[in-house]
Amino acid sequence: MKNLLFFFVLLLAVVNSAKSQHASVKGSVKDTSNKKDLQYSVVAVLRKSDSVLVGYSRTNQGGNFIVKNLPREKLIVWITHPTFADYVEEILIKDTSVLDLGTVNLTTKSQLLQEVIVKQQLGAIRFKGDTTEFIADSFKVRPNASVEDLLRTLPGIQVTKDGKISAQGQTIEKVLVDGEEFFGDDPTIATQNLRADALEKVQVFDKKSDQAAFTGIDDGQSKKTLNLKLKENKKNGYFGKVTLGAGPKNFWNNNGMINSFKGKRKVSAFGIMSNTGKTGLDWNEQSNYGGGNNMEYMEEYGGFVSFGNYDQDFGGPTYYGEGLPSSWSGGLHFSNKWRADKNNFNSSYLFNKLNNAGTSGTFTQTILPDTLYFTNQRSTNFDSRLRHSLNAMFEIQIDSSSSVKISTRGSLGKSLSDNSLYTESLNSSSNMVNRSNRNVSSNGENASANTTALWRKKFKKKGRTISWNLQQDFRKNTSSGFLNAVNEYFAKSGLISLSDTVDQKKLNESQTFTLDTRATYTEPLSKTAYLEVNYGVATSNSTSRRTTLDEAGGIYAKRIDSLSNEYAFNILTNSGGLALRIVKKKYNFSLGSNLSYSDFEQTDLRADTNFNYSFINLFPKANFVYSFTQFKRLSFNYNGNTRQPSLTQLQPLRDNTDPLSIYIGNPDLKQEFRNSFRLTFNDYKVLNQRSVYANISLTNVSNAISNSDRVDSLGRRVFQSINVNGSYNINAYAGYGYKIKVLDLSWNNNLSYSAGQMINFINGRKNENKNENYSIRTSFYKNKAKKYHVGLSSSITYTTSTSSIRKDVVTKFWSQTHNVYGNVDLPLKTEFNTDCDFNFRQRTSVFDRNNNVIRWNASLGKKLFKNDVGLLKLSVFDILDQNIGFRRNVTSNYVYEKTYETLRRYFLLSFTLNFSKNGKPSQF
Amino acid sequence: MKPIFLSLLVCITVYSTKAQFLSKGKIEFERKVNVHKQFDAEGEWGQMLKKSTPQFKTDYFDLYFENDKSMYKPGREADAPVRNFFLSNPASANVVLNDYTSNQFISQKQVFEQNFLIQDTIRKINWKITPDTRKIAGFDCRKAVAIILDSIYVVAFFTDEILVPGGPESFSGLPGMILGLALPRLNTTWFATKVQLEGVKTTDFAPPVKGKKTTMSELKVSIQKSLKDWGKYAARNIWLIMI
Repeated sequence: MKNLLFFFVLLLAVVNSAKSQHASVKGSVKDTSNKKDLQYSVVAVLRKSDSVLVGYSRTNQGGNFIVKNLPREKLIVWITHPTFADYVEEILIKDTSVLDLGTVNLTTKSQLLQEVIVKQQLGAIRFKGDTTEFIADSFKVRPNASVEDLLRTLPGIQVTKDGKISAQGQTIEKVLVDGEEFFGDDPTIATQNLRADALEKVQVFDKKSDQAAFTGIDDGQSKKTLNLKLKENKKNGYFGKVTLGAGPKNFWNNNGMINSFKGKRKVSAFGIMSNTGKTGLDWNEQSNYGGGNNMEYMEEYGGFVSFGNYDQDFGGPTYYGEGLPSSWSGGLHFSNKWRADKNNFNSSYLFNKLNNAGTSGTFTQTILPDTLYFTNQRSTNFDSRLRHSLNAMFEIQIDSSSSVKISTRGSLGKSLSDNSLYTESLNSSSNMVNRSNRNVSSNGENASANTTALWRKKFKKKGRTISWNLQQDFRKNTSSGFLNAVNEYFAKSGLISLSDTVDQKKLNESQTFTLDTRATYTEPLSKTAYLEVNYGVATSNSTSRRTTLDEAGGIYAKRIDSLSNEYAFNILTNSGGLALRIVKKKYNFSLGSNLSYSDFEQTDLRADTNFNYSFINLFPKANFVYSFTQFKRLSFNYNGNTRQPSLTQLQPLRDNTDPLSIYIGNPDLKQEFRNSFRLTFNDYKVLNQRSVYANISLTNVSNAISNSDRVDSLGRRVFQSINVNGSYNINAYAGYGYKIKVLDLSWNNNLSYSAGQMINFINGRKNENKNENYSIRTSFYKNKAKKYHVGLSSSITYTTSTSSIRKDVVTKFWSQTHNVYGNVDLPLKTEFNTDCDFNFRQRTSVFDRNNNVIRWNASLGKKLFKNDVGLLKLSVFDILDQNIGFRRNVTSNYVYEKTYETLRRYFLLSFTLNFSKNGKPSQF
Repeated sequence: MKPIFLSLLVCITVYSTKAQFLSKGKIEFERKVNVHKQFDAEGEWGQMLKKSTPQFKTDYFDLYFENDKSMYKPGREADAPVRNFFLSNPASANVVLNDYTSNQFISQKQVFEQNFLIQDTIRKINWKITPDTRKIAGFDCRKAVAIILDSIYVVAFFTDEILVPGGPESFSGLPGMILGLALPRLNTTWFATKVQLEGVKTTDFAPPVKGKKTTMSELKVSIQKSLKDWGKYAARNIWLIMI
């Protein structure tokens, strides 16, 4: 039985070897001098055509070897041993037999060793591995000479009359420019068309494959290659796009952008004019044509932080979807880097103008202890804002451990606004209580200048750093305007009991200058623990002038003292803090606090009286992150901060801009203290494409700055800032996302809950407003690259609100939002996009108007020209012509709903042309 | 320069005309990833990341070898570990046990949330042998190059003084041990920092047991499916997992 099995195995082996027709090589290895059998010598067999290893073996104790399974072709036998010189023999295997090489004698290396002189020539010619490098500028050529002329002067390189190049006796078959092929395979195109002075280096090497050129590592077949390395500043090019769009009813959206670069130098410009809501560059455009996205990498969080847009910070011209906008904007950006990117400069100029017109209506229910008021307001607005801004940034990497960054920004702006308002208030039995017709206009100018300098140094000890920051900020606003109002108050009988007329001129002027400096030092306590200490001083000096002048005989000259004031505010803040940070493999943890002492001096410049306050502010914080795996983490965050009242809140000044709702500041306000806790959990399964995330956050505020309202029998509201206790907010959110693999459909669900309590005082009585919000959302989407992208989402929300002063008045309603979208690539380079929003808001006894909106947009585009550089597109916005702006707020005893005019149906035919040379915009 | 030392111990060393061949020992590999190269593809973001991150991310791995087996697994922790979300790659702490007699391997890879236990035939690599040499950790090495996974260019330096035909990760099949390895496309290199002959125990070759059982081809299919929407990041991640 055993024999039979053995026979079968043997038979199988024979059959196999015959079938594969593989051959073997055998022999034995000996040492020429000692005639010893050399064990463990490597016998490698390579294919002659490409040096691929096809088999190997080691010699046995007797120095014998056999290498099996060799293909039948030209092979190289290569025998190596650490102390012997390599032995190489070419063999040709014709049949499946075993080729016997007999005895191979190896020679020791010491016998072969010859003196090798390695001579490295610095300067004009360098040798890097098998690459010969010529420094172009070291070889003199006439001005405007071509690369070909330069090549003629290089040692070892010949150029024939017809442009054929040879190096070290071999013909150059490929010419690369910066490692890439330059317009096809003809080497003369590059050498005859590029100027010699554009070159930094000429490199000659044997190119084996594209991979080898990229890596600089040699791999097999040889093609003598010339690489022309361009000087940085000759890397020129540009890219850009122009879009022209127009439609009936005078709709337009035109823009043009260009970025031209020369090495690291970048100049870009853009211009946009649109009345379809485009007021500036979008994120992608900002990176390519603007000064970048103002992002900063935060080591502590391991992520990017994008800082707010400068435009929005300063109330610049930005459109928020309210009104009908017409906008014009333009910008110019310059940036450059030099000294191997160690010096970095960039600056830009921006111009924006936004005209915005629109009408809006607000309906408010005022809940009072003993009664309810209903207020209707209709308004017509026109706003025009214009701004020029200039900014510059300069960064120097002084050495490998320290850097300085200086940035400065300045702006000049003008604003104009004109609002007409009609307001009427009704009591619970729908009788008119008061009504008002107002016109408020204002004409203003503003200026700002801000400079920041930051010095950072890293010490040799890892984690030890010091930084120093200095910041200056100046802002000035002046405006003059008019308030015209006719207010009428009604008696129970329905007759006008009181009427007043306001015709006043308002002059406002404010100016703030701030200087802030801070030093931060980080010391590593161990490999995983760091201590951070910081200290800073800030001063802020501001003045504010508000003048109200009454009309008399067509002249506004009589100053109304109760509505005018002049104040100077000086604040000096000293603050310092400590924080401990622990970074471990699985978790990191930080704990610390800053403490600040602010001296606050308020001078009434007219009365020449002086108030002094001082605040001690505490800013504790704690952060804990536990990473179960790379994609699963739990984090807890606590932040406590003190917020001091704003200047407006502290000024005991009446603001009568709305005569039915008058605001008075409160000089006795204390600072509020806010505790915020947040717990977050994330778990993402990459392979399963499943995600689970949940977070809960709680904020409670002690001494919260709230309002105390007095509403009189005529429906007039006078409110003042006060401190209250008991305000809080809770937010909870949980989501689950999953890929339904069978359908290749992504499915996401989430639940959210929020609740809050807001305290205020109404006619001396404490009121607790409680609101709750429940929401559920589900969405699906499916994506097939270059074919279609479709999605559906649906959410339902339930909102309730009650006020303790009137527990019987409960506001509650459902609202729903649904969205469907699809982008489809059609034949003939055509694409179709559509999206539709369904907004349904339940009517309530208070909000009884129909606010349901279906907004449906669609567009059809066709790509044109070579490389699809052109796009012709027809788009329709709000096909059903139903769009309205809508907002509801139920978080206090003033429950209101606002509707406003916004963009409605328009058609737009647009054409976009992309152009470029040597570059293309990056996509994010 | 890392201290390079070779502890010579008359242990399993076989003498043959002044040269000694090793058939048992432990090699420490230093893996370096040039993360700045990786950031170059990220435009503005990458430039910012460069400023806050050291150029190289360094890890250590140990390779135990004995006769016809080699075991590759994570080694000591780097002196200054770089922890950055953008640098956390899948399958970056693999365990690979190769058996050159049966031509089989068992490897354990943490691929995102899933730990895989892969059992398959050792990858056949078509190595091209070049005449270039280089000394690594005291050993004379020869250079070989290859292309794997259709487009990953591999440069390896191997020494014939170690009898086990192994190397870091799944790289093997050369007539000797790979002591230096470079994958330019993945901006990654492995170089032996020391080779020691003592301290190798049988338990060092205990095969990994935990993880979802799979084969290379099954793993590739499932990863390709999951990373379908990753765009330009998909290829890089698949390569990282498959090497």
